[in-house]
Amino acid sequence: MGKSFAQKALERASGEKDLVPGQIVDAFPDLYMSHTASWRCIRTLERMGVDELYDVDRIAMVMDHISPADNAKTAGYHALCREFADRMGVRKFFDVNAGIAHVVLMERGLIKPGELIIGTDSHSTIYGALGALGTGVGFSEITATWVTGKLWMKVPESIKVEVDGPLARGTYPKDVMLRLIGDVGADGATYCSVEFHGSYVEQMSVSERMTLCNLAMEMGAKNAFVPPDDTALAYLDEAGADRGSYEVLLPDPDAQYRQVERVDGRSLVPQVAVPHTVDNVVGVDEVAGTKVDQVFIGSCANAKYDDLAIAAEVLAGNTVAPGVRLIVTPASSMIMAKAASDGIVSTLLQAGALITNPGCGACAGSGGAMADGEVTFSTANRNFQGRMGSYQSSIYLGSPATAAASAIRGVISNPQELLA
Amino acid sequence: MNMVEKILARASGRQSVEPGDVVVAEVDLLIMHDLSGWLTSRVFDKQVGGPVRHPERVAMVFDHHYSPPTEDAADMLKANREWARRNGIQLFDCGNGNIHHTVVRRGLVRPGAIVVGSDSHTPVHGALGAFAAALGNDSHAGTVLPYGKAWFRVPETVRVELVGTPPPGTTARDVALWLVGQIGEGGLIYAAVEFAGPYVKELPFWDRWLFPLLCVDLGAKCSFVEPDEVTEEFVRSLPPGAADRPAHSDGGEAARVLRFDVGGVAPQVACPPTVGNLADVSALAGTPVQYAELGGHAGGRLEDFRAAAEVLQGRRVHPDVRFNVVPSSREVFTEAVREGLVLALHEAGATWFPPSTGSNQAYNMGAMAAGESMISTHARNFPGRNGSAEANMYLAAARTVAASAVTGTITDAGELA
Amino acid sequence: MTTVEGPVLQARGRCWTFGDNIPTDRLVKTKYVVEPMSVIVAHVLEDLNPRFPLEVQPGDIVVAGKHFGQSSGRAIAVKALKATGIGCVVADTFARTFYRNAFEVGLPVLELPGVSELVSDGDVLAVDVAAGTFRNEATGQERTVAPPDAFLLEMLRAGGLIPLAKKRTDLFDPAT
Repeated sequence: MGKSFAQKALERASGEKDLVPGQIVDAFPDLYMSHTASWRCIRTLERMGVDELYDVDRIAMVMDHISPADNAKTAGYHALCREFADRMGVRKFFDVNAGIAHVVLMERGLIKPGELIIGTDSHSTIYGALGALGTGVGFSEITATWVTGKLWMKVPESIKVEVDGPLARGTYPKDVMLRLIGDVGADGATYCSVEFHGSYVEQMSVSERMTLCNLAMEMGAKNAFVPPDDTALAYLDEAGADRGSYEVLLPDPDAQYRQVERVDGRSLVPQVAVPHTVDNVVGVDEVAGTKVDQVFIGSCANAKYDDLAIAAEVLAGNTVAPGVRLIVTPASSMIMAKAASDGIVSTLLQAGALITNPGCGACAGSGGAMADGEVTFSTANRNFQGRMGSYQSSIYLGSPATAAASAIRGVISNPQELLA
Repeated sequence: MNMVEKILARASGRQSVEPGDVVVAEVDLLIMHDLSGWLTSRVFDKQVGGPVRHPERVAMVFDHHYSPPTEDAADMLKANREWARRNGIQLFDCGNGNIHHTVVRRGLVRPGAIVVGSDSHTPVHGALGAFAAALGNDSHAGTVLPYGKAWFRVPETVRVELVGTPPPGTTARDVALWLVGQIGEGGLIYAAVEFAGPYVKELPFWDRWLFPLLCVDLGAKCSFVEPDEVTEEFVRSLPPGAADRPAHSDGGEAARVLRFDVGGVAPQVACPPTVGNLADVSALAGTPVQYAELGGHAGGRLEDFRAAAEVLQGRRVHPDVRFNVVPSSREVFTEAVREGLVLALHEAGATWFPPSTGSNQAYNMGAMAAGESMISTHARNFPGRNGSAEANMYLAAARTVAASAVTGTITDAGELA
Repeated sequence: MTTVEGPVLQARGRCWTFGDNIPTDRLVKTKYVVEPMSVIVAHVLEDLNPRFPLEVQPGDIVVAGKHFGQSSGRAIAVKALKATGIGCVVADTFARTFYRNAFEVGLPVLELPGVSELVSDGDVLAVDVAAGTFRNEATGQERTVAPPDAFLLEMLRAGGLIPLAKKRTDLFDPAT
């Protein structure tokens, strides 16, 4: 019987053969990502009295949450991480100015096909966009892995998602994923490896694949996967990952899947996740006209270069509605550079956007907090009650195009009307 | 009468005024930021009430927050927005810029006007030939909002004449900081300070700006540069606003005249704990900094970004330094993109932030841990304003800030290899 | 241990000394500005003397050096000092926004150059702001200066600018 991607990746990481779903193995991850809260791992290590690490080159630390510090305590946590990285020789250390961990590591060639990546962030599923097995773990697991180099993992079952296109103008990978999450539910893929296939996926950019894999978390996935192809390899070349340094793992044609889901991209309209869960999904027209106070274009789901370009396309020649705050937080420093060099930053500024420093931004509590009764339309990946300030505020999720259209009109709007 | 006396006489309906007179004058513009606006609106609602007499003469600019980090902050901004809407006053929400730069860029400050605000740097608007003073929340709530008026004691005028040409590498910001050290903090309490002399008159508008800005550190009530062609040309570049009523001095003896030769002034650094604690940059050379910032009332100008881009040409920000760049207004940010400064500084390793007051009081950014240090173009360095009271803020010119960002230690730009 | 005689303009009480150029940032730290006064007053000047907010008694007198209350013009700093119940503040010189705010919120202050050389913590002082007189009962030293402007004393006696403005419509709202 054929093997799924997850079986192959965990066989590689554990050195074991013929793994089957449900089996538990000791796996040796290739990279351990921890973000601003790395300070917790450092403090735990200090309490354990351990100062010998398994392989310091597998540690990646990115100060993306609460960047920059807005109080002395957070500044102290940042300082502790810097001091640790310096003392221990952590070379993959990226400070508050670099951007969101996931995007930073991928665009710098530090995530490679076939690898096992663990991260202190649930959206570590995003690494599947380059054919790696990425999964979120806790701080204590990361700390233990720093010391032992290994982590117990259960071999997941796999789900195959087939997406066929092309998509209509004004619809994007975000809409595909919201529809899928709405269909299968927030627990529809719990503990599973979700593999994306189909004609639409094959012609997607890596950035678009990142949106797919990132949001797979919101249906409960342990990890996500898009088969690396020429598009992925070209991205890796540009990112500086040497072709000899990785091995592409592909699922066997006769791999076994627990279920197969299909999304017909051709009939898809822009989708919106309405308060207060990500799987509460409707077509945009059902909520069109809902007043928004704030629009956030940011997060590891949708603040990559092409996301900003889509927003700029919608916003060009328009201005943000009076009384609406449009916050744009580029996902990384490299994305900011590209957007500043080709007119996107200008377009956004002229439309009235507030452009912040790269990072997690309002998705992780750096700004964007809401008071009672306020509404944010966001391109991020979570809309749980109270996630952005008041428990009495609301978050709607959608694509950068829907976000930009809603910012212009001051109410949730179908971007297809503005792009037509 | 001099410019200040003329403006106060006109606005209080008198033929003339003399230093020491207490007058009640019509206010042309009240400016408040997110914090002072919140405090003032609460005093007004609780203790005064009633309609705002001239809502079109009141502007609120959110600049201490560029985006609220907490629900409490969001509540404050929401309350401010609702208060502004209810009273019909102009609101510039997060991201428009620093309060003083924003109201100038939007054409709200006019020559000859009386401008008041709770922000202690409000006297900066004397750079446009306005009479501008910082008043407290109770003046704003108790008389400006309900009656459109405020009481003033007519100040004595002290003329500060600057002559000479400083060495290359010394900028107007250095000269302004140096003056605080020469005159001393609180050295001109209650005075109206006129900046004059060939050095000042030859400065372009945004460099003149730096002198009235610092008068609060001297203890002055207000400050001005006699309006001239430079002022007029600058005012013509602004969007149209209320009518200009430029006032020009005709006589009006200054109580004191202080003359300074700026010919030998070296780049300066104001060290903690106060703005008057100045030293030549060479005396501080080698002091480690973890943060550098172009921003605040005294920074975030195009001039600062151009100077930094020149220093960073062919160089990169030191890996141990976070170099943050905060435009003073949306207009400046847009122009900086157009001139390629945004890309140039970003690629050299700086990080751009939304137009605001940046790290001023660390609402969104600029908090430091104990023992950390920042060098910046900000206007204040009191301990505890940027996170830990054990952190250090050094104030300098953009060139020095940029050079220090390159080396990771306080550095004279002229000494860069 | 204190007696406040007559209107608010005379004070007799223990002295707390502070130095030169104290900014309002250190009277009320930024993080407390938006808190209720009960919280603010529990932290007033704590950076410079942690005992002050804990032990200050109604009627006590704060004596400072030059340029007291510089920096931010936040009236909340003056209101916090007033809320401690102190009788008055005497300083070599005041920052003008602090001085203005003091009269506007009804906190008596007296500018007396050189006062910081005349006092030690705990001395009992007697100050009459309206008369411009100062006496250190511990040392017997006395000083007299010109009192504040009559308009400012009127404001102080009215309890601050807001009550004064409501009374003196002839000044602020002559149309009505």
